[in-house]
Amino acid sequence: MHSVGRSWLLLTGFILFYVIYLLFGALLFSSIERPVEDKLRNEIEALKREFLNQSCVNDASLEHFLVKVMTANKYGVSVLRNSSATSNWDLASSMFFANTLVTTVGYGHTTPLSDTGKAFSILYALIGVPFTMLVLTACVQRIMYPLVLAPVCLLQRSGLEPRPATVVHFLLLMVLMLLCLFVAPAAVFSTVELSWSFLDGFYFCFISLCTIGLGDFVPGTQPGQVYRPLYQVAVIVYLFVGLMMMFLLLRTFHKMADLHGLTSFLQLPRCEESDLGDRERIVEGANADQAASYLTEKEASKPLEPGSQPSYNTINTS
Amino acid sequence: MATPDLLDPKSAVHNSKPRLSFSIQPVVLYTPEDECDTRTTVMRWKTVSAIFFLVVLYLIIGATVFRVLEQPHESSQKLAILAEKLDFLAMHACVNSSELEDLVKQVVSAVRAGVNPSGNASNQTSLWDISSSFFFAGTVITTIGFGNISPHTEGGRIFCIIYALLGIPLFGFLLAGVGDQLGTIFGKGIAKVEKMIVKWKVSQTKIRVISTLIFILFGCLIFVALPVIIFKHIEGWSTLESIYFVVITLTTIGFGDFVAGEKGGSENPEFLNYYKPVVWFWILVGLAYFAAVLSMIGDWFRVISKKTKEEVGEFRAHAAEWTANVSAEFKETRRRLSVDIYDKFQRAASIKRKLSSELGINQEMTPGKRSLSTTLCEDREAYPNLTLSLSPVTGTLSRNGSLYLNGLSPDYADRREIAIIEHFN
Repeated sequence: MHSVGRSWLLLTGFILFYVIYLLFGALLFSSIERPVEDKLRNEIEALKREFLNQSCVNDASLEHFLVKVMTANKYGVSVLRNSSATSNWDLASSMFFANTLVTTVGYGHTTPLSDTGKAFSILYALIGVPFTMLVLTACVQRIMYPLVLAPVCLLQRSGLEPRPATVVHFLLLMVLMLLCLFVAPAAVFSTVELSWSFLDGFYFCFISLCTIGLGDFVPGTQPGQVYRPLYQVAVIVYLFVGLMMMFLLLRTFHKMADLHGLTSFLQLPRCEESDLGDRERIVEGANADQAASYLTEKEASKPLEPGSQPSYNTINTS
Repeated sequence: MATPDLLDPKSAVHNSKPRLSFSIQPVVLYTPEDECDTRTTVMRWKTVSAIFFLVVLYLIIGATVFRVLEQPHESSQKLAILAEKLDFLAMHACVNSSELEDLVKQVVSAVRAGVNPSGNASNQTSLWDISSSFFFAGTVITTIGFGNISPHTEGGRIFCIIYALLGIPLFGFLLAGVGDQLGTIFGKGIAKVEKMIVKWKVSQTKIRVISTLIFILFGCLIFVALPVIIFKHIEGWSTLESIYFVVITLTTIGFGDFVAGEKGGSENPEFLNYYKPVVWFWILVGLAYFAAVLSMIGDWFRVISKKTKEEVGEFRAHAAEWTANVSAEFKETRRRLSVDIYDKFQRAASIKRKLSSELGINQEMTPGKRSLSTTLCEDREAYPNLTLSLSPVTGTLSRNGSLYLNGLSPDYADRREIAIIEHFN
């Protein structure tokens, strides 16, 4: 069948392009980071040698001690003097952990130590992840109207054609989100967290809201943080709201792509079921004469995501 | 639909499998006739806020359970490491506490940067050689984000942001395509199985359930059980740790406490070079599978919520209907009763007047209810049609629940009038 062959071809093309993209990224990361790593390694070697020289400690016992320290550190337990007071598993921190589990961000700054904890995490994640996605989708559907459909209507009323109206609105939405979700919180984080620069804060916001969650920056983990529970709850709220806004942005983009015929252009297989999708059209049907054919075509079918989803499980949520 | 529509091979070809939609019952916010009209129903807010509170509750429950499970472990780890430190200090008297603190601080920050301070510099493999960087790029794009390696330079971080911005949609494309192919393959297999099962004359729902179970079982076998065995063997983890790693990776949570392929490549570098790409490939296909599973779970939630809403709605509709029926009938009865009672009053009054005029009694007899009832009783034979007309109505009323009659508020009917009816019955 022609369509099957074509879809296989597309898939192979995508895989190839993906591999090339990965290789490219690998090369670049390697060339940027490796020198710094080497320098740090040399520094730590020098420090160790210095320590060993001026004291009576022998190499083996120091190694043994360091291994223990590093294992403890991996699980978030620190041996330093000023960090003995706060626990990583008090109620607010546990809630923060549960939240990272359920939104699939997964920082990894604290991870379950016990076997029961690991088993419980598995179950909790398997149920909680789809549940959270469901909630976020429901919320997005709810706020879609005041944030997307009404302004587009307004723009159309003020004389713009339907398709440019959606593009203008999408750009405005993107700029607004950039300011509110990235720049402003980054500024807040860089002030509250003493060791973070503005770039660090921005990097953290981006990595969290894309649910990558590397875990090199986690707010609220510095020792001596004031109002730690409140701060962590605030971060949870920020993550939720941010994720919701990202979903909204993607859904808007998807609808816009629909309208502009991008999905048909990319010729990805479509889903014929119409009971899943919502039938909201982003533009008024009465005025969009030239786009009417697109709309009627696309209304009954729910096309497969042509992309721009930040995580796999948001595919087809629009 | 409680199961993904993987059964129809025709739709599997040009279909968006795995089904990854979590959208709830769509609300058509406007139709072309009403331009920009607000048409949102009140029920939606309630549903959303209900679900929202459920999520918050779920988080709180999770937090409490995690705390109860983990805090004792954490405390024991803390005690152990503190004891180690004190031991070390005691054993090596020439080291003072602050020097040790400094060293530990440096070590910790080095570890966070990914450098392993233990061991010599000679046999260390870099964390940023090509295969590891490839792996890191993969974790960024799939949004797993283990975090055992992370960029530490400013340039690295900025590049990471741009890279992710472009790469994540690209990976979304890829995942959709892979999921589609997976669905096709699976759909074809299931069609064959279905042909066999249909001979046994099993109902459609059962077929669906069976196919879902087969999907889950097969998928678990290929994407979970097999990797678990491989990881146990190669990485040396326990079974639970392997399962934990598989689930945490394939749901893209990606803590990073366990990462496949982290073990030193000093033993067998060539082997590791094959191992890592295989792991990456497994992640790709496994992600598609897990997306399907999670969307299935999401579908079930959706169906449950819809069913509950329907059932609640049905129940409410029934209750409303029943209430409406009963009150309508009751009003009818009341009307008829009042008419009849008025009739009876008239007749009783006329009879009384006749009697009193005949007997010459001049008392003003107030038609008390008791006398009325006796009069009515006497008149029962005289007015048989009255009972006939009353009893069907009361019959239906009692069918709908005689307690309804008894439990009525007095403003609907006079209790004594009810007593008359019951007396008649």
